[in-house]
Amino acid sequence: MHPATSPTAGVPAGRDHRTPRTRPRFLRGLTAVALAVPLALGAAACGGDEAADDGPVKLSVFWWGGDARAKLTEDALALYTKKHPEVTFEKTWQANQGYFDKLATLTAGGNPPDLFQIDDNYLAEYAGRSTTLDLTSFTDSGKLDVSKFPKSLLQYGVVDGKLAGVAAGENTQGLVYNKTLLQKHGLPEPTTGMTWEQHIAWAEQVAKKTKVPGTQDPSADYKAFWVWLRQQGKDLYDGKELGFTADDVTKWFDLWKGARDRGATPTPDVIHEGNATDITKQLVVTGKAATSWVWANQMPDLKKNTKDELGVVAYPGDPSAQWARASMYWSVFKGSKHRDVAVDVINFLNNDPEAVALLGTDRGLPSNLDLRAKVSETATDPAMKQSIQVESELAQKFGESPQVPIKGHSKVKSELTKAAENAQYGRATPAQAAEQFMAACKSAIG
Amino acid sequence: MALTTAPGRTARTGPTGPRRTRRGAGRARLGEGLAGYVFLSPWLIGLMGVTAIPMLLSLWLSFTDYDILTPLSEVRWVGLANYERMFTGDPSYWHAVRVTLTFALVAVPLKLAAALGVALLLNRTWRGVGLFRGLFYLPSLLGGSVALAIVWVNMFNRDGAFNSFLALFGIEGLPWVSDPDWALETLMVLAIWQFGAPMVIFLAGLKQIPTELYEAAAVDGAGAWRRFRAVTLPMLSPVIFFNLVLETIHGFQGFTAAFVLSNGTGGPVDSTLMYTLKLYISGFTDLEMGYASAMAWVFLLAIALITAVFFGTGRFWVHYSDGDDR
Repeated sequence: MHPATSPTAGVPAGRDHRTPRTRPRFLRGLTAVALAVPLALGAAACGGDEAADDGPVKLSVFWWGGDARAKLTEDALALYTKKHPEVTFEKTWQANQGYFDKLATLTAGGNPPDLFQIDDNYLAEYAGRSTTLDLTSFTDSGKLDVSKFPKSLLQYGVVDGKLAGVAAGENTQGLVYNKTLLQKHGLPEPTTGMTWEQHIAWAEQVAKKTKVPGTQDPSADYKAFWVWLRQQGKDLYDGKELGFTADDVTKWFDLWKGARDRGATPTPDVIHEGNATDITKQLVVTGKAATSWVWANQMPDLKKNTKDELGVVAYPGDPSAQWARASMYWSVFKGSKHRDVAVDVINFLNNDPEAVALLGTDRGLPSNLDLRAKVSETATDPAMKQSIQVESELAQKFGESPQVPIKGHSKVKSELTKAAENAQYGRATPAQAAEQFMAACKSAIG
Repeated sequence: MALTTAPGRTARTGPTGPRRTRRGAGRARLGEGLAGYVFLSPWLIGLMGVTAIPMLLSLWLSFTDYDILTPLSEVRWVGLANYERMFTGDPSYWHAVRVTLTFALVAVPLKLAAALGVALLLNRTWRGVGLFRGLFYLPSLLGGSVALAIVWVNMFNRDGAFNSFLALFGIEGLPWVSDPDWALETLMVLAIWQFGAPMVIFLAGLKQIPTELYEAAAVDGAGAWRRFRAVTLPMLSPVIFFNLVLETIHGFQGFTAAFVLSNGTGGPVDSTLMYTLKLYISGFTDLEMGYASAMAWVFLLAIALITAVFFGTGRFWVHYSDGDDR
């Protein structure tokens, strides 16, 4: 039954005057209203083609993050209003947890924000369902200036040939280690370019000397797995398919089983604790491991949670497997009535010197390379300075960016965690866990 | 739906206005009915808008591939595919069913036993008993709150308060919440600990039992245990029944604690993947709202079935004291 055809359409008109009872009609009317309201909202969402950009515009903007990001973003948007008094903003923000639930619900209710923040977990999901506006025509016409962007960073917003989102900042995978601890025991620091085997041997040595496990076991961590795969000449995804086989996964799990057996990593329950999304629980700041596998731009956040000095290098292996990743994107809702304004706001947030200076590195390094150089010159926070420096250094060694993760990616991620933990807790051999993972992935991206 | 129709009431009020004509009575009835609906309308609109229609919509969606981002007008009808996948193609669905059943089978009886035990202790008059009743009720007041679950998780971490307490006695604790063998058990303890609500209901029930019965039993030479078995339990059985049904439904719906403890994943290794959590993940993380809707309907039917079984067997052990043997 389709709701649009249900209650009123099914009533023969002739019957009405024959039975003058009010109750059923009243109820039927109520049902019709209750059904029509959400449908009308849904319809309104589809019919935003004619852009009415004259007169005052109220643009809704939605992002996730903490108080600090909220403050910076609000300031930047206020600056836009100052320069374009006819445009005001309806700002909504919240913590990461529950953000995508709310975005999906808003979209389902036909009331998504005009402009919203999104990440590579969900970009393909939203783009694949035509929820995001294809921004290609705006970059072609120059209304959205991406000339100063690293090419691979821009490329990482393209889904099925359409520009679904524009990077709000850039980051890359980073191995953060506890400098203070290593210095105290006279141990060497890890370096960019060391092999995986060298990294594990180093971590074992750290564990022996300091009693703190040298590295967090990242077998459940898709970003570590991804970098490792690219170093094997594979990839996480190949078109709409998985870019790896059960053998690859087995090798990956075996690598870390070896590391655990050698005492280079903490015990499974501590590893699990570190896998929690919360940055404050990363083992390098809770003191339960000397190394955490994070994003390089998370350095300042990590630093806030520990007194120890931290350092950051690339993930082990050839650093050209890493890429300029959009830490998050700005996307425009396809049905927005104010597309042009929304695109102009994205352009402003990325290319206006004042706005970029305001935003700093909160969403990652600025995408505009000229402005990035300026921001790094003026940075005062030492942790921020360090993370910019490391990332700029790494940027020279970056390779091509992979395709944006496909639909079903969030499930692939959680299945990897489950399979890896099965192996960690000794409930399955690496080969068995790999088989489970492959089977679950196939049904996830089916 | 409990829409009482007007005729019954007008029939009763009819005789008071004997001079009314048929037509007049009809109009009055109409007016009365309309007034009734007008007064009911806030509730009716609420029921329609936030319960009945969304429920029917979800029934329809359970036969579609709705993913929440696609407009409703574009969803595809997939027939029973969602149900088929649930029963035959998704091992983690059955895993969630097992986790939920285990949880309910263990936590509910223990929670009721704790509630009854404490209610018996507090059903006396001694100084400060009111304070204790309040204290025991407190955890339930905080009920499904996220804050409580967070406190709980922190208490049962490897370096949490509970393990520190054990360390006082030289016992080395376990990583309760991050060990797949113990995470669900920790959740059970949390659920049992919140026994205050059934306890208060038990207390009220205990107060209803006439003291003469105990006196008579004592005169007949019944000891404490015998009095409990022969007087308290039968007299309390309607209340026990009520609590059992309510807490079982509650137990099946356990969500908040599992969600908080596992960061919304049901981990470690799916050990806390409760049914409702699996449903949530399917709908909101995997964006498979049609599949989640199907899961919700099966859940509804399962709970209805279990409740029906309770009512069916209740006949054999629930005694109502008002004489007529039901």
